[in-house]
Amino acid sequence: MKKTTIAYIVFFAVMALIPFVSNNLWITIATTFCIFSVVALSVDIVLGRAGMFDMGHAVFFGLGAYATAIMNVHFEMNILMAIQVAILLPAIVAIVISSPIVHLRGDYLLVATVGFNIVFVQMLRNNFLGLTGGDDGIFGVDAEALGLYLDDPMIVYFMAFTLLLLTLLVIRNLEKSKAGRALHYVQEDPIASESIGINTRFYRVFSFSLGAAIAGLAGFIFTIQYTAVSPSAFDFMTSVMFFAIVLVGGKASIPGILAGTFIMFVLPEVFKGFETYRYFVFGIAMIVSMVLRPQGIFPAKYGKLPKYVTEDK
Amino acid sequence: MSENLLEVKDLVVSYGSIEAIKGISFDVKKGEIVSILGANGAGKTTTLRTLSGLLKSKSGQIIYEGTDITKVPAHKIVAMGISQSPEGRQVFGTLTVEENIRLGAYTKKRADKETQEWIYELFPRLLERRKQLAGTLSGGEQQMLAISRALMAQPQLLLLDEPSLGIAPILVNMIFQAINKIASTGVTVLLVEQNAKAALKLADRGYVLDVGHVTIKGNAKDLLNDPKVQEAYLGKKG
Repeated sequence: MKKTTIAYIVFFAVMALIPFVSNNLWITIATTFCIFSVVALSVDIVLGRAGMFDMGHAVFFGLGAYATAIMNVHFEMNILMAIQVAILLPAIVAIVISSPIVHLRGDYLLVATVGFNIVFVQMLRNNFLGLTGGDDGIFGVDAEALGLYLDDPMIVYFMAFTLLLLTLLVIRNLEKSKAGRALHYVQEDPIASESIGINTRFYRVFSFSLGAAIAGLAGFIFTIQYTAVSPSAFDFMTSVMFFAIVLVGGKASIPGILAGTFIMFVLPEVFKGFETYRYFVFGIAMIVSMVLRPQGIFPAKYGKLPKYVTEDK
Repeated sequence: MSENLLEVKDLVVSYGSIEAIKGISFDVKKGEIVSILGANGAGKTTTLRTLSGLLKSKSGQIIYEGTDITKVPAHKIVAMGISQSPEGRQVFGTLTVEENIRLGAYTKKRADKETQEWIYELFPRLLERRKQLAGTLSGGEQQMLAISRALMAQPQLLLLDEPSLGIAPILVNMIFQAINKIASTGVTVLLVEQNAKAALKLADRGYVLDVGHVTIKGNAKDLLNDPKVQEAYLGKKG
């Protein structure tokens, strides 16, 4: 067996055992790790794989979270009914807002996505359509479904863990698929990609939409975990943080991104006194890693072409 | 030999408010090698990129095999039989030579084995280096690779953007000989070049572009002997 396979098995086994050997505090931390890892991985689809500077991904995470809370609290729907909306709404919004901007080059795109994030948070804070609840957000999400209280730490944890597994599976498939490779080529050389007939625009919008759908689903579980949502969780700084996790961990590198999320969100919980220094320490980590290892802690290695292209027939 | 494969009418292309192409017309007949000449900034690359759909035109028409392709996006143009080797030999540096070549068949169901063998005959040097990463090739070899990749789409019309740019003279010769061989198999070639002498020796006909206008056109032989062309591009004083 390959080393990486063993590493993943050990990782998953440890993750699966966590709730049985620790208390609620640790289960909560592990849940946060799973949810934020999923969001970071979804940012990576846009930033790391398609190579587009997306610094507004908290919008999609927030859309999923708010959609869940709004459907549950305002429209009194069962929490599970929100799943499809938490996936589809961010995906559709991503198509709408990314279509006019995907042709922009790096820094211009970045500014545009930051703009979307600021607009989004302002809408939340100003109680958009009377649904978002203003600065305080939405409280009192009823997480009872199928006779269970889904906000029970153990249940939330296993939902988040399942989502993480699912996300890793999606990314694994993406890497092997035509779409994933097309994204890699588009990132490496857009003009060459167009010259060989790749629809670069389609794949760019596709990556935004896929990333948004995954982030939205993470938002769904995030809302259940806290049975509440508030605007500050989805502001610009959150987007910056996920952006930095991908760059520090390594673009398109799953272990790198998991490690980045761990450093950013789990370590501060372990060393409580250290918490206020989180941005300080991570800021320094960003500088050091950009200088010493610009390709990230665990740079990704790209595979070969898919079989159907190289097969001799 | 008389049928127009490509016809461009009053094409205007602008970057913002600046017009790079100010209404040019030209045509390419089936089986020809046509060369577009001109100095830096004359609009050669802009013309080619508009043909392949990478740039949008402001006005004018591009007609390919009788259909208007002015508004067709780049990725569909490849499938229609027009493929391009872009300026600056954009190859995928993290892939091997062979993978780059096979990627040229992206719009096809599968990479055609015969075309691939023919490409290796054209450019034996690529065969030697087929397992090497494309990023480690020399400039001339990357140019060969970019042309090969374009050929894998089995185009009717091959657009070549400055194949001699920044390449050792001996390799330029090899590349131009290869272009000749490609054309002899029936592929129509539209060649954009600064190296007027080499291009005109190869081409059937030529157009000279100057700041967005076609200033001179005609048979390649006539152009070679045209005093204006000689003075401007061949360094001879009449």
